[in-house]
Amino acid sequence: MPKQPPEVRRYNFNEVALGYSAESAVEEAKRCIQCKKPLCVPMCPVEINIPGFIKCIAESDFIGAVRILKDKNCLPAVCGRVCPQEEQCEKTCVFHKKGGQIAIGRLERFLADWEAEQRELEMPVILPSSGRKVAIVGGGPAGLTVAGDLIKLGHKVTVFEALHRMGGVLIYGIPEFRLPKVIVTREVEYLRTLGVELVTDFVVGKTRTIDSILEEFDAVFVGSGAGLPWFMEIPGENLNGVYSANEYLTRLNLMKGFLFPKYHTPVKSHRRVAVVGGGNVAMDCARSALRLGAESRIIYRRSREELPARLEEVENAEEEGVIFDFLTLPLRYIGDENGWVKAIECQKMELGEPDASGRRKPIPIEGSEVIYPLDAVVCAIGNSPNPLIGATTPGLKIGKKGNIEADEKTGATSREKIWAGGDVVTGAATVILAMGAGRFAARSIHEYLCSL
Amino acid sequence: MDLNSVSQILDFAIEKEEEAAQFYRDLAAKMSQQHVGEVFESFAREEMGHKAKLIAVKRGDMTLIDSQRVTDMKIGDHLAEIVLSPDLDYKQALIVAMKAEKAAFQLYQGLASATDDANLKGILLTLAKEEARHKLRFEIEYEENFLREN
Repeated sequence: MPKQPPEVRRYNFNEVALGYSAESAVEEAKRCIQCKKPLCVPMCPVEINIPGFIKCIAESDFIGAVRILKDKNCLPAVCGRVCPQEEQCEKTCVFHKKGGQIAIGRLERFLADWEAEQRELEMPVILPSSGRKVAIVGGGPAGLTVAGDLIKLGHKVTVFEALHRMGGVLIYGIPEFRLPKVIVTREVEYLRTLGVELVTDFVVGKTRTIDSILEEFDAVFVGSGAGLPWFMEIPGENLNGVYSANEYLTRLNLMKGFLFPKYHTPVKSHRRVAVVGGGNVAMDCARSALRLGAESRIIYRRSREELPARLEEVENAEEEGVIFDFLTLPLRYIGDENGWVKAIECQKMELGEPDASGRRKPIPIEGSEVIYPLDAVVCAIGNSPNPLIGATTPGLKIGKKGNIEADEKTGATSREKIWAGGDVVTGAATVILAMGAGRFAARSIHEYLCSL
Repeated sequence: MDLNSVSQILDFAIEKEEEAAQFYRDLAAKMSQQHVGEVFESFAREEMGHKAKLIAVKRGDMTLIDSQRVTDMKIGDHLAEIVLSPDLDYKQALIVAMKAEKAAFQLYQGLASATDDANLKGILLTLAKEEARHKLRFEIEYEENFLREN
């Protein structure tokens, strides 16, 4: 798939990947041999009929392909861009061993974008009203999936979102160059056209509690994500210039800090930025810092092989000029006389003996301390769910890490009429896993509503 | 407390384990979030397990095995001290435990270096190693839950 060249894209926030043309999509789709027992489908958390939509593309029946795709996925333009297909559907493609797996994600993205270019969207069948009402807490991928599924089944659905825009991590977390916000808005608007009521600036647990909402609604789905950032708990974290990834990315993506003064929330221009972590969020932060003109480095405790980020994103970051310091552990942040961070002290690591599980854990190398001068640090080591819902919902069972405990197959929680799914249950994970959890929960909620 | 015999040292260690358990029980009772309280209660139960093991050693029902070198991942060494408050979370609870086990390790190391009696030095170093093993257990739990860097 064509991309912006690295030397160009590192100076702009426009989308990196440019997408398939219709001709190249058809050509790619024709490579699919339509396995009798497709191994790609069971790997899809939302159970898309992958060979079905690919067959339609191969026959240039894009409308038919969209119909099949959207039957199971209400956010195809998003999934086509940010799903880790290489770890899911594409991994089990029969052509994978030879490295020539069908580019399922790119085809999905092509279809969604093609549909958006058409004048009229095809509306799905919506069942007659059941008279039942469902409240959804959180307008991210899990909540939007539940909304899309339940509205089609005839239930009245209201989504309560804490921020001023719907989309959750798709809006505040993933940068424009990986997922243009116009696409998220388009997918959200599609749900609105289906009849989903979308309420923003509504903090469940503050504006109203779940119990208060249940006085009006028959069921509640909690998909409020994992918005509470972790810090390293090392000295100097309160210095100015030390950000959580959440804050840094929210300033850029939700508040459009990079477009100041057109938008009103500026983001400080830093010269040297270190990002601590190795996941997709860390890559997003490092590449954003680069685009804002900084020298940008990733500091990661393990080696390149263990980076949890998608390989594609790591390679994009490397091409753009992000510096990687592997086997490096931050020890402390050093401040100047005005309380701004001016350096980071790190220690080099080596992989120790394998433990009982066979994994080699990083062990510090004595005397290997190194100091990097910088003027900003972004901590991207993970997130927990915000404790607000747990604290204001008596009887809702909360796990050790602050996550809501919910049944893996149904999303049912310890409280009747309350379901949960996505990052608020699993901790920070992928968009598609959150959507898969939403799908299971929607089924369970529908069964419950039908039993009333 | 005098530490002039193996029996006295074991009594001291048993008392320290009980103190540690009480420390975690007290913290558990103060936590504003129930699930964090449960984490500290589980730590208290572990300390009581260590205490029971030492009592069994003193009775002669089992021996403290001085096995291989214990890996020191040093995860807790550079982390800031946690200010104890009712609003701690699971991550901070693990840091509190890592630091406490490190302090216990250092206590026995210090006592071992202060005696010339080879027998007593041996048991004190074995107890130090036990505490290092406990610290490693918390470091591994911390690493697996909070150092995925994702």
